[in-house]
Amino acid sequence: MECIADNICSPLGWTTNENFARVMHGESKLTRHDGKWNLPRPFVASLFPDGAIAERFSAISTDAGRYTRFEQLAILSISYALAQTHIDAADKRVLFVLSTTKGNVELLDDENQPNIPRERIRLGKSAAVIARFFGNPNQPVVVSNACISGVCAQATAHRLMQSGRYTHAVVCGCDVQSKFIVSGFQSFKALSSEPCRPFDAHRTGLNLGEAAATMILRADESTADGWTSGHIAIRNDANHISGPSRTGEGSFRALRRVLPDDTARLAFVNLHGTATPYNDEMESFAIARAGLLHTPVNALKGYYGHTMGAAGVLETILSMRAVEAGTIIPTRGFGTLGVSNKLNIISRPTSTHEREFIKLLSGFGGCNAAVRWVKDSDEASSTPIIPKADIISRVHLCSESVELNGRPVITSAKGSALLAELYKQVAVNYPKFYKMDALSRLGFIASELLLSDIDRATLDDCAVMLVGRTGCLLTDQKYQATIQHTEQFYPSPATFVYTLSNIITGEIAIRNKMHGETSFFILENKEPALVDELIRSAFADSETHMVLGGWIEYESADRFEATLGLYKRHI
Amino acid sequence: MNTLKETLKAQIIEALSLEEMAPADIDNSAPLFGEGLGLDSIDALELIVLMEKEYGIRLNNPTEGKAIFASIDSMADYIEKNRKK
Repeated sequence: MECIADNICSPLGWTTNENFARVMHGESKLTRHDGKWNLPRPFVASLFPDGAIAERFSAISTDAGRYTRFEQLAILSISYALAQTHIDAADKRVLFVLSTTKGNVELLDDENQPNIPRERIRLGKSAAVIARFFGNPNQPVVVSNACISGVCAQATAHRLMQSGRYTHAVVCGCDVQSKFIVSGFQSFKALSSEPCRPFDAHRTGLNLGEAAATMILRADESTADGWTSGHIAIRNDANHISGPSRTGEGSFRALRRVLPDDTARLAFVNLHGTATPYNDEMESFAIARAGLLHTPVNALKGYYGHTMGAAGVLETILSMRAVEAGTIIPTRGFGTLGVSNKLNIISRPTSTHEREFIKLLSGFGGCNAAVRWVKDSDEASSTPIIPKADIISRVHLCSESVELNGRPVITSAKGSALLAELYKQVAVNYPKFYKMDALSRLGFIASELLLSDIDRATLDDCAVMLVGRTGCLLTDQKYQATIQHTEQFYPSPATFVYTLSNIITGEIAIRNKMHGETSFFILENKEPALVDELIRSAFADSETHMVLGGWIEYESADRFEATLGLYKRHI
Repeated sequence: MNTLKETLKAQIIEALSLEEMAPADIDNSAPLFGEGLGLDSIDALELIVLMEKEYGIRLNNPTEGKAIFASIDSMADYIEKNRKK
């Protein structure tokens, strides 16, 4: 696929060029905020000034009141990117892919934007509103895969365009900050009280940031001059839902998969570099294990903070601009090396003549992603081929009943008590089950049933691809209850970690030592053909031989469903 | 002190969703992390919340929690000396 247009909307500017120029001047909007959103403790973040997004939005629409701050920001970025092309976004051959972790989560507070219908807390609903603004008739796909979403969205677009139904994809990454997100990261003790310092010896944590970034992708890559990519990989650590692997296992595996034959061709590797002690240390191992200690590396969180769902798209676009300008962006905040492996961290503008780069990301749920983009490539184009796969095991688990490979499983309980009953039947001694949120318990039990006759030692490269409508909304509400009242403000880290829908994919990967791709997609409408396509899309990666995938939905204790299958590549 | 330890055990079971455990299963001197109850980094963060919510004790750094959260004995001892409610 080819990237034919892009945009970045951030507190540093409303165009990619403006952002790139400011970054090359060493600018950042990382600022200390005291008392914002009535938070009891201060934090450092890169935020839009109050009203700035709405003011900008009023120039392109008279309907500002109908859209949330999050939606306005995404629409602005998509509009600016589309304006550089001749694409009609209302054409059914254009696919919309939205990358976000928390979308409109601030609407859980009733006083926030009270004119907006609360159904828009659902990511699929909000994505549909964004796509409809442009008159697009297709159901948008939301990739909600924690902090790696932005690269996963590029993979999703690449694979879905392969069907031939779409000529173009609009990939937008967007997240705005809120009391919900900041308090959660504070409860994790993950935030730095000063502008963050990626890979530095004195780094103390990350900063959060707001941004939207958009890439317009084209399936056809007949023209060689331009940015092309077909090299994308996603891998899981199978280690812990919030802490990264100490050896950088998943990050290394993803990175290894996208390396060029000659690594001297890489201008740089743009790292995740959140500036938390563990993330940066882990990445140093991934780089060392991949044999890239001499390759220039940089990180951009010192300019923008961690922009979550936007990060993978924003940092890819800025890296493209840097290669075009023949430069490597310095790692703002970095001074003295503070990781175990001697990385070649770029700390001042450095010229390069190379024409390709790798973008790395890692996220909660143990997921990691890598993508390689090449400018003016002379390589043959690489359209993903999605092979046939057989379903070798199926499970259907809902609040009323359970069926395994077409046969009923005898149980007595209903609703959430059914899950507890099944836990005792199938999974001996896995007390972590009781710590999981409802969505994870459902997925965990369904996957235990599905794999009951499978040799778990064969699952190392198995992918976990789940699709749902509600995602982790119930857990979002549970977490909101811990921060809603000022006098009872005790944000719960154990609840917050489950406010990412993809955590269940990590739980399944950890339980079964699966290091393959893990992804979570949100669709507002359960469109069976599209669900099936998203599950099977993991086979586009030729290292993937098995996929555990399906539809998973936990609406309430009395209403849930997991319909999962184990897919095996057809030989 | 013994009442405090019993209360604390019940609070920990509740806060960390140790559903299959009863207060009597937790040994006062046994390590809470690693071998003992098999708690992890998220549990440590949740214990920091518990200390503030139930006893008004604010710990800002998970590393300072390490010695305090070593066992029920060490936790109760710290609470006794520092509690604000």
